[in-house]
Formats: sequence, structure tokens, C-alpha cells
Amino acid sequence: MKCNDRVFGLLMLVLAVAYGWGATQFPEPFGGGEAIGPETFPILLAVVLALSSLYLIVKPDPGSKWPPARTGLELLIAVVVLIAYVLLLQPLGFIITTTLAVGTLCWRMGAAPMRAYATGLIAGIVVYFLFTIGLDLSLPLGVLSVLEGS
Amino acid sequence: METLGYLIDGFGVALAPHNLMFALIGAFLGTLIGALPGLGPANGVAILIPLAFTLGLPPETALIMLTSVYAGAMYGGRISSILLNIPGDEPAMMTCLDGYPMAQKGKAAEALAISAIASFMGSLIATIGLILLAPLLAKFALTFGPAEYFALFVLAFATLGGITGKNPVKTILAAAIGLMIATVGIDSTGTQRYTFGVLELYEGIDFIIAIVGLFAISELLFFIESRAGGGKGPMKVNKLSLSWKEIGSIFPTTLRGGVLGFISGVLPGAGASLGSFISYTLEKKILGSKGHFGEGDPRGVAAPEAGNNGASSGALVPMLTLGVPGSGTTAVLLALLISMNITPGPMMFTQNADIVWGVIAALLVGNFLLLLLNIPLVGIFVKLLSVPPKYLLPIVTMVAFVGIYSISNSAFDLYFMVAFGVAGYILRKLEIPLVPIILGLLLGPEMEKNLGHALTLSNGDWSVLWSSGLSITLWALAIIGLVLPVVVGPILRRRMRAAQGNVD
Repeated sequence: MKCNDRVFGLLMLVLAVAYGWGATQFPEPFGGGEAIGPETFPILLAVVLALSSLYLIVKPDPGSKWPPARTGLELLIAVVVLIAYVLLLQPLGFIITTTLAVGTLCWRMGAAPMRAYATGLIAGIVVYFLFTIGLDLSLPLGVLSVLEGS
Repeated sequence: METLGYLIDGFGVALAPHNLMFALIGAFLGTLIGALPGLGPANGVAILIPLAFTLGLPPETALIMLTSVYAGAMYGGRISSILLNIPGDEPAMMTCLDGYPMAQKGKAAEALAISAIASFMGSLIATIGLILLAPLLAKFALTFGPAEYFALFVLAFATLGGITGKNPVKTILAAAIGLMIATVGIDSTGTQRYTFGVLELYEGIDFIIAIVGLFAISELLFFIESRAGGGKGPMKVNKLSLSWKEIGSIFPTTLRGGVLGFISGVLPGAGASLGSFISYTLEKKILGSKGHFGEGDPRGVAAPEAGNNGASSGALVPMLTLGVPGSGTTAVLLALLISMNITPGPMMFTQNADIVWGVIAALLVGNFLLLLLNIPLVGIFVKLLSVPPKYLLPIVTMVAFVGIYSISNSAFDLYFMVAFGVAGYILRKLEIPLVPIILGLLLGPEMEKNLGHALTLSNGDWSVLWSSGLSITLWALAIIGLVLPVVVGPILRRRMRAAQGNVD
């Protein structure tokens, strides 16, 4: 399992080279000729990163195991849920998206579906009112804003 | 006596009713955060930072609240150590050794009360140490030039892994990544760096987003992976019966533990884990056969708790006086200071004296509050401990989302936070420490500025960085800080494990 560090080291080496090269491309600042330009510090960092990633490639630690495919899928679901949460926050509003996001996460972590979504709903409502009334902050109401207008 | 005057002013700030209220809220939340599974102090403070902003708190109130959270989290970490033999955070590891056997003997309430008293003593001693030491160190730090500061920052990174850290190269690598992220945005000369023309990146990457993502989101992913959503069964705590004599008997232990903890908190690279380890081991040596350590000796609970809390207050000394935090949580507190436009370091003691001394006084006040809060309310905290993570972590994640969203109302920031969370998960899998990344993010601008000043003063001669006695000393310490863990680390880690193994 030593390949973890090797692969990571290789990636970081590529990053260091790209980052260092990027630093050399900065335009000379107006009235340049200072002892230190915008590129000095980044180049220094690129060198440090390159050296330490080379060390990792040469002398990797025994790495930890990656999760099996099933757990990997669960992780993927969690990340997708989080992204969807952001995506739907404005259009659907805070309470509905929170119910869905928190509920799905609870459920995937092992809670019974009903209890999971109930937790999400309660958490969403409590936090919504805590923030909008208690703290005077606006969280999007989304499609539920029709209720407000009446 | 100058200090005393400042301190009295500080108490004036800390005892103002609204500050006192936020200290109480902070202490309560902190204990909760420390007690709850999967929420370390750094993580908890990070999630609360955006909320402190949205509440529109003035800087001293926000700082007082979050230092109370910090102190409270250290209190809370011990509850699961004692009741479940599961340390809430790393420094609480040593508390398991005698705390859990005490609980098994039906003396859980006593163990909890003793640890609360020991925590109180440890923090009290260390806060007094902080009051005495901080002004001196701040005065000394005024003599630092840019070259010395640059060396000091290097020292901070070098010792961050701590003596017990595993691979110093990974610490350096993580620091470099953090510093690189900090260079994104428009720099002081007006040059765009690594923005790729994306408008949202012009102002750089907000470190609060990075911190919350790295800590909170990656924690969620870790829990999902370990399938630890089930939580623990309900726990019972017996009725407390603790005599003054018993409290008196742990007094010398807490005194020693507090002092040792403070020292290891102040020193770079030692930290709270080592503080509690040293004070436990020393206590065992001093008492020898008179104690029954490992079988539920109250002094075995008191020593590591005093040490751990002493260290966490001690860790504030370098953070406040030099602007260089020595641990993850103090790094997060530094993040709060920077985002409130307060530059930590020696100047803070003159320019923002009210804030510094307010916070120090708040530590003292917070400690009393925590002691008052902890002994009668421990039952509530115990109940909350049995909330299964499968409900808790999604809610915590949601609170983190709301916090970040409320700063800027921008979906872009939220995507960034999720991305940092995924990155944090992968990095933790690779055993790349996250704290140096955060420290890099925080210190990057200052580090570059000091490098710039030093080189401008010397007309581009790099040797200026190691030309004064002080800077050479700092560089030497940094090198020792990197090399020592490789030599001593394995031995220390083995001892800590051995001490743990004795119980199991």
C-alpha cells in the first residue's frame, strides 16, 4: 500500500512545477525592479513543495486502505447530496432543501427513513426561524414564499 | 503592576453583562462540542466562527465567546473518556486510564467531578502563567525585525507536527500547500496571481471557508466511511458523593499537572497531548506505590486533566504574543482574530489592549462558569453524548452550510467548502496533517510581507534572513523541531501506546 504516497507525491510534483511556472508568467508590476516581486514567494513555495513531494515519491509511508467500493459509493452519495443542497438552496428554499439533504444524509448513515426526514424537517424549520426571526438574517424561502404572500 | 491595571480593565470588559452572557453560551456550547462524538475543539470553533459574524458581535465579545468555547471543549472531551473509554480528542486519551476504571467501579460521577475540578485548577494556573508571561514575551517580540518574523513563522510550521508527529516531510508539504492557497488573489503590488480570471478568486480564498470545509465536511465523510452512525447506548451516572477531603487530596496533583501543562503548552511543538502525558507519567512516578494508577486512582484522573487544560491555556501565549499558534484550535482562534482585522502579535498588546486583556480575564471568568456549569449539569451533557452521530453530523453539516452562506450569500463559497471537504478527506486518508494547511492559509500573507520587507531592507541579499543571533536561534530551533520527532517521536509514541495498553 505504498503507492498512495507515491501517487500523491507525483501529483504534488506536477502541481509544484505548474505553480512555479505560473509564477514566472506574472507580468512585471508597475514601477518594478523591487527586491522581491510577486513571483519570489511562490517560486520559493514551489521549490519547497517539489522537494517534499520528491521525498514522498522516494520514501513513501505505508498508506491506509481506501474504503471498499460500497462505502465509496456512500461517500459519493454524500458529496452529491451536498452539491445538490447548494444547487437547490435558492430555487427550492431553505426548509425543503434542508429536509431533503439532512434527511438523506441521516438515512444513508443508518437512520430509519421516516425518522431521518423528520429530523431534517425539524432541523430545517428550527434553524430557519432561529436565523430569520432570532438573528434577522435572510435564508431563501424558495417555493414556500407563496405561503408568505398570503 | 502595570499588568494588574490592565487585568482590572480586562475584567471590566469580561464582566460586562452581554459579554458574560456570551461567555456562558460559549462555555455551554464548548462543553457540548467537546462531549459530542466527532466534533473536536478545532472543528467546533471553526463552525461557530461564521455564526459569530452573523450575530454581528463586536470583536471582544466574539473572542470571549469563542475562547469560552475553546475552554469548554477541553472540559467536554473528558466525558466520553471517563464513561466510555473513548477519548473525545487526543489530549483526553490519558484521562481514560484511570477515569474509565473509576466509572466501572460505579464512581463515574466522582471521576467527572474530579476531572472538572482538575480542569479548573489546570486552566487557572495556566491563565495566571499567561498573565505573567504574555506581557514579557510581547515586549521581547517588539525587538523582532522582519527577518526574525520570517524565521519565527518557519519555526511555527516546523514544530507544528509536534514531538509526537509522524512524518515531518508531510508537515512541510501541507504547509506549502496552505501557503500556496494563500497566494491566490490580487497581491500587494496589484498583480493577479492564480486567479484564472475568476472574479470570486480576486480577493483570495476565504480561510474560514477552507477551515470549515476541511474540518466539518471531511469529518462527515469520515463518519460515513467508518459506519459509526449508530452511536452509543444510554449511559448512567451515579449520584455524586465527594468529600472535601478527597478534593484536598488531589490538590497537589492538579498543581503539578497545571504547571507542567502550561509549560508544554507554551513551548512550540509540545501541545496538550504531551502535557497530559507528562503530568500523568510524572504523577505516577512521584506517588509510586502509594497510588493505584490504572485501576481508578482519582489522582490519575486529575493529573492528565490538569495538564491538558494547562496546556490549552498555555498555547494561547504564543498565539497572542507572537501571532503564531501552536495547535489546531489556536490556529482557528487566530483565524477569528485576522478576520476581525486584528493583527495578533506584540502590537496587539498596545493597540488592542482592551481586547487582549478582556479575553484573558474572560478565560478566568469562563473557568469559573465552566466549573459551575459542569458539576450540576453533567447529567445533561451525558444524555447529549448518546445522541447518535447519524442524526448529529448531518445537522452539524447543515449548520456549517448556513454559517458560510450567511457570510456572503454566495453559492460559490458553498461549492468551495464542499471541495475543501473532499480534499480534506483525501488528505487525512494520506495522513497529511490539515493544521499546517490552515496555518499556511493564515500566515501566508504575513510571511510573504515579512520576507519582502527583509529583502527590501537588504537590497535583495537573502543572507539577511539568518544574519542576527536571534534569527539564527529561531532557524536552529526550527531544524531541531523537524529532526527531533524523527528521533524521539517513535519512542514517545510507543510509551503512550504502552500506557494505553496497560488498561485494555
